[in-house]
Amino acid sequence: MFENVPVISIIILLPLIGSFATFLLGKYGKYAKYLALAFTTAAFLLSLAVSYEFVTTPSPANSTGYHNGYQFYENHSWIKSIGVSYIVGLDGISLPLFVLTTLLCMLSILFSWDTELRPKEYFGLMQILEVGVLGVFVSLDYFLFYVFWEVVLIPMYFMIGVWGGPNKDYAAIKFFIYTHVASLAILVAIMAMYFEAQVGSFSMERIAAESVGFSRAFQFAVFGAMFFGFGVKLPMVPFHTWLPDAHVEAPTAGSVLLAGLLLKMGGYGLIRVAIPSLPLGAHDMVPAMAVIAIASILYGGIVCLAQKDLKKMVAYSSISHMGFVLLGFATLSQLGMTAGVFQMFAHGLVTAVLFMMCGVIQHKCGTRMIPSLGGLAKKMPIAATLMTAGFLASLGLPGMVSFAAEFLVFWSMFNQWGLWLFVPIIGVAITAAYYLWALQRSMFGPLTDKIDTSHLRDISWYEGVPVGILIALIALFGVFPSLIISRIDTAVTVIQAVLHLFGGG
Amino acid sequence: MSVLNQMDWLLPQLLLVLFALILPALDYLFKDKRVLSLAALVPLVGIALALVGWLFMGLWTFPRSGVPSALEVNLFSGLFMLVFVSVGIVVVLSSPEFISKERNQGEYYSLILLAITGMTVVAEAADLIALFVGLEIAGISSFALSGFKKREKRSAEAATKYFIVGGFSSALTLFAISLFYGVTGVTNISMMGPLLNNAFTNLDGSDSVALLATVLLLAGFGFKIALVPFHMWAPDVYEGAPTPISGLLAAASKKMGFAAFFKVFLIGIVISKTDWELAVAALAIITMTVGNLVAVSQTNVKRMLAYSSIAQAGYILIALPVGTQYAVAGGMFHILTHAFMKSGAFMVVAAMGACAIGEKLDDFKGLSRRSPFLAISMALFLLSLAGIPPLAGFASKFVLFSSAVYTSISPGPHWLVWLAIAGVLNSALSLYYYARVIKYMYMEKAPDESRVKTPPMMMLGILFAVAMTILLFLFADSVVNLCLDAAHGSFPTLPLGR
Repeated sequence: MFENVPVISIIILLPLIGSFATFLLGKYGKYAKYLALAFTTAAFLLSLAVSYEFVTTPSPANSTGYHNGYQFYENHSWIKSIGVSYIVGLDGISLPLFVLTTLLCMLSILFSWDTELRPKEYFGLMQILEVGVLGVFVSLDYFLFYVFWEVVLIPMYFMIGVWGGPNKDYAAIKFFIYTHVASLAILVAIMAMYFEAQVGSFSMERIAAESVGFSRAFQFAVFGAMFFGFGVKLPMVPFHTWLPDAHVEAPTAGSVLLAGLLLKMGGYGLIRVAIPSLPLGAHDMVPAMAVIAIASILYGGIVCLAQKDLKKMVAYSSISHMGFVLLGFATLSQLGMTAGVFQMFAHGLVTAVLFMMCGVIQHKCGTRMIPSLGGLAKKMPIAATLMTAGFLASLGLPGMVSFAAEFLVFWSMFNQWGLWLFVPIIGVAITAAYYLWALQRSMFGPLTDKIDTSHLRDISWYEGVPVGILIALIALFGVFPSLIISRIDTAVTVIQAVLHLFGGG
Repeated sequence: MSVLNQMDWLLPQLLLVLFALILPALDYLFKDKRVLSLAALVPLVGIALALVGWLFMGLWTFPRSGVPSALEVNLFSGLFMLVFVSVGIVVVLSSPEFISKERNQGEYYSLILLAITGMTVVAEAADLIALFVGLEIAGISSFALSGFKKREKRSAEAATKYFIVGGFSSALTLFAISLFYGVTGVTNISMMGPLLNNAFTNLDGSDSVALLATVLLLAGFGFKIALVPFHMWAPDVYEGAPTPISGLLAAASKKMGFAAFFKVFLIGIVISKTDWELAVAALAIITMTVGNLVAVSQTNVKRMLAYSSIAQAGYILIALPVGTQYAVAGGMFHILTHAFMKSGAFMVVAAMGACAIGEKLDDFKGLSRRSPFLAISMALFLLSLAGIPPLAGFASKFVLFSSAVYTSISPGPHWLVWLAIAGVLNSALSLYYYARVIKYMYMEKAPDESRVKTPPMMMLGILFAVAMTILLFLFADSVVNLCLDAAHGSFPTLPLGR
């Protein structure tokens, strides 16, 4: 279907054109949302078509634009004098995240249907954000990767800073500077690899091909810089402090994109860039990765128990759940890395539901402080159903997507380290505890008298539809995880081969 | 006409001087003073187009002097000249509204043209005396320009301060030149090198004279480009001078200092590089760090931009201790991008002055409501200055810093990598105060929400700078290539470094 069509570039360009069109609307700003929805829906549909065309076990014969395991591959030289090219392509690791991005951006725009404060800028920035995230997931050139990586920061900074809550100034600037410092660590690591590889190109594949020659000490140092850079984004304890602030202040759609997509960029960077290019460094860092992963799982969970703000609780739960991603990667095994990528996809779907429901509660009740809520299920039955579904999905109920992902992570950990498995499993118990407890206090029990519930209305259509779609997908991939896992698995095999070749198993 | 034929390589300077002489006369002829700025644009745009045709399109080659002379036209000088005239265009476009109430506007433009003439002479100088003459032409014109609003105390103070410091730095420079002449017997920059080598090997004491001259020159040029600790004058002058002139000083005048720096240090006295590289590297790190740290606490945006351009000078200075062709190309690329983003930022401040908003940080509150155009332009300039892609500042910083990383890996010395690390850390630090301005523009409420209209010519100037800030990123390839060619042509003895 897409022979000789630069389909990935078109998908990236759609929201970019859409954002410029949105910015230029002038006094017709109230139509911004229609334009934004149209462009992001087009991008989503096209990305669906791409995933339909995507072949699980690609070869030059059966797939479109095949190149070294990548499909829909495009390569144009850009800054020849320093070896920068525009190279994009998709494989099993990037495809799920790519489609997740187009999906969540479309749904977030629908969810923000009633935004009245500066709608042009709001919907325009959201589309620029989509451009950046999509670019990160498809770039196969370090320079290009870094450019897209940084492009993401600016719209998110504005989204928190302009449409955020009371303490937005502090949160926005903290987010911007914290993650920018992390990016700079990545930049220095990229420069070091570029010069060490001596191929005069920023192409990820060409540098990875030279990584055989990288000394162990060099790999350790550069992997350390990348681990820090990507880990801040992930986020991992102890570099997570920007996340609760950013989430609490960000508007709902901003939180959805932040947790659903931006955190995934950190995990994606580790599996796409750091681990395959620096296998020896990854081997030497395994203990650090594992300890930090388990610390994130437990710490995130325990802090959740103490939260009064529903949204802050969900934010901390992200730290806990992204710890599973890191834990999967830390095993450096086929199963673990596949599970880590799948957990990223699962968390993207689930956390979007959770943040959207926090937004609904805030929207309808005017507060999201758990002590002020209670018995809302009587007044908002649909919202309560959706929220219960979301919470159950997030705590890993079998049949939901998170269960499949977390189960695989634990399995891989058991294969690697045996009964140490019991340490992170405590995290699951904590997760169940804080979710059920929060659900009980906010949705069930006697109706609260701390807020005025007489005019309380149930969830609006533009909020319910995105949440409903997401929950349907959560159930679908919970029952048929192999739809995605088989694709990730093929791509991880390549990385696994690299690790075995150079890492000594 | 044969004389003219032999001097065709001086055409740009002749054109600039000619218009500089005509402009005061035009002042008497026209009531509408905007004519003056249009007239001043004629030579600038003409030269800019000619340079673009030469450098990027290869439509023609610029005439070069036939005999070895005091001035030499090459890619290096062409690129710098392009920087100077482009900044000149931005400055002239945003001037009419800014000085509309002043007298003697013809002289204002004529001084701008003369300052640019001086800068182009520095860019072409192949001889220390020509270099000095160029520095003086540009310097004296700039002193007068910074005091142009002579009834304003700040402006007069700025001019006086600038004059005294400028005079002092000229004296240092001239003294250094005379010492070099004493040691080597020549003033030609490229002939100095081998003769200086003799001085160093003869051990007759002339090597210490040469070292003294190097230190004096470092101080003399250091004042020109406001290196810490020779920077004290810059914030006061930038703050006091008419805002378009601050832009000219930061974006063009400073770059002239770098042209001189590159020529003398990397051609003339490159032989003693091991003696001065550590000192220059230390100056670079101190300059960028002090500039950024002090910028954080500024409440006046003009002053903040002044400190930011001190910091940016520190980044560019990295090219000297690294001392490879690639590093020089990176330095030139950053000079080019910095010229647009910094002059653009000053022009936004100038526009705010012209709209009677003010130039304090507080005056930027809610600017996105009052003038979306100014706010988005300022945001782009500041993000580019901080080195955030996809803007020009990122590309040029990338080349500049990576040159230090590369040279530290392969021939060494290894400590050069600290220049890149210091640069990267400083970029992160600088983001704080750049982002703060953006925060004020977009996230704070203005006490007065009324919309303001940017004067059309200013808008054109700012738009030009915005376009260049984006285009220089997208078309970085041809620019980097050009910078590499220029560095190769002018500094053939330096290692390639890539």
